[in-house]
Amino acid sequence: MAEEVCHVLVCTNVDCKDRGSQDLLAALKARVAQEGLTDVVVKPYLCFGGCQHGPNIVLYPSKIWYAQVTLNDLDDIVAHLKGGPVVRRLTGKVDAATQELIFQLLDAGLF
Amino acid sequence: MNGVLFPAGHPAGDESLEAYRARGGYEAWHAALRSLSPEPLIEQVTAAGLRGRGGAGFPTGRKWALARQAEGTPRYVVCNGGEDEPGSMKDRLLLEHHPHLVLEGTLLAAYAIGASTAYLYINRLYERALARAQAAIAEALAEGEVGEHVQGSPFSIEVQTFPAPTTYVAGEDTAALEAIEGKEALPRPKPPYPVTVGLHGKPTLVNNVETLANVPAIVRQGPAWFRGLGTGDTPGTMIFCLGEEVARPGAYELPLGTPLRHLVEVCGGGLRGGRRLKAILPGGPSSAFLLPEALDVRLDHQALREAGSSLGCGVVRLFPEGTCLLEETLAIAEFFARESCGQCPACRMETGMYVALLQKLQKGQGGAALLEQIPKIGAYGKGKGYCSLISMPVPPVESAVKLFPDDFTYHLEHGRCPE
Ligand SMILES: Cc1cc2nc3c(=O)[nH]c(=O)nc-3n(C[C@H](O)[C@H](O)[C@H](O)COP(=O)(O)O)c2cc1C
Ligand code: FES
Repeated sequence: MAEEVCHVLVCTNVDCKDRGSQDLLAALKARVAQEGLTDVVVKPYLCFGGCQHGPNIVLYPSKIWYAQVTLNDLDDIVAHLKGGPVVRRLTGKVDAATQELIFQLLDAGLF
Repeated sequence: MNGVLFPAGHPAGDESLEAYRARGGYEAWHAALRSLSPEPLIEQVTAAGLRGRGGAGFPTGRKWALARQAEGTPRYVVCNGGEDEPGSMKDRLLLEHHPHLVLEGTLLAAYAIGASTAYLYINRLYERALARAQAAIAEALAEGEVGEHVQGSPFSIEVQTFPAPTTYVAGEDTAALEAIEGKEALPRPKPPYPVTVGLHGKPTLVNNVETLANVPAIVRQGPAWFRGLGTGDTPGTMIFCLGEEVARPGAYELPLGTPLRHLVEVCGGGLRGGRRLKAILPGGPSSAFLLPEALDVRLDHQALREAGSSLGCGVVRLFPEGTCLLEETLAIAEFFARESCGQCPACRMETGMYVALLQKLQKGQGGAALLEQIPKIGAYGKGKGYCSLISMPVPPVESAVKLFPDDFTYHLEHGRCPE
């Protein structure tokens, strides 16, 4: 049976983009390829509605929401994608209602 | 019908100042300057029950009273002819055919709130309307209807046109104020509202072109006469716009309370080619869809609300059998996503999510669970955003899913429109 694919969704809406999410997206793609993580897919996402806390990255299906991510956080995020611990300093910043809505939309297939 | 706005009930002819005077034009203005102080003038507008024709139906007299009571000078009036609502042309037609009517209404508003400057804020694509308005201002100035000490009274008023940006949000009242201040036309956070903190931070009255065009007749013929037209909920007449889908597209002035069927069948001549009706969008892209049974609804704010939709600014769209309501709804969602000014995160997210979700459904990707997300997106946006654009796609999207589920499920299963 194939391993479940992990989607790494990077918000590229205005605020997150202003805060450098395009660079994050490109760097994450490069790192994931370099590390040979074939079960990880890095993709842009239109918006998570957590704009005050951008750049936002959401992992699906594990439903981990990383906010205020910078290029300096990438080592830890990649380590997590390779099976390491969740990067706790980047979680829990966005309000629960917004997270719940986004997770429901993702569950419904909107990605 | 003898219209309040269009003498023939529909637009006809370029009315000159002379012709306007011949049907009582500027009599209300002179009467006000001579013997009607601002408070009783505002009381007349209140007693007439006039409601804003810019979409929301806010009581005009109440808005005038709020502006009158606000502290600060100088004060301003903005006559809003931004008109970027798809399918709407009423403000353009009023300005082109009856610029003096609009001007007289604007002058009365300025007098009522004690404004010293008024702007005719007109969509910059409307070159003819702008030219007609400018010519009317020049004529009025030459004849002493505008300017210093109008008609020998203590009241002075300057009137200018302002070419409005062509974005949809530029018609929102506070965005219009930003544009006039020379900035990008972006809505301001509210409160404060323009009546207290408006143009250059001063009390400012923003009314739609059609709203102001009703005022001269109210002053001349009295509130009771005006209330004799229309309904208790929404007195007077309103201009309704019909598009190319009917046999006779155009703008029709009708008393409020007229059945929608009269507008569609008698004025518009029914759907072109005698096609059968599938859906109605009675109040522009931000209103909820209705089924053909609703043709007997009476056109006023309350009746349309009770029918599950809204009157908006009178743009009525009809969809014949064979139209896919998912495709139509997607087009509406795309319009609002495109026109969202981008200032408010929740609005970008909500309008963008509707598009993403409807596109998924359109292509038959994803399951029925997607449909269940629709109300959550609307609920997320509720009460958020600087302006009400965020709430605009909610009624059409939610009503389409409810009233035309077959179009949605067909797309889900087949990835294309029903035959
Ligand atoms: C996105 C948006 C666009 C609007 N566009 C217009 C417009 O083009 N013309 C207009 O009169 N009102 C428009 N409005 C409503 C105005 O903000 C304002 O309520 C109106 O001009 C008040 O006039 P009334 O009280 O006479 O209706 C818009 C509102 C929003 C939220
Ligand atoms: S404030 Fe930007 S669309 Fe409303």
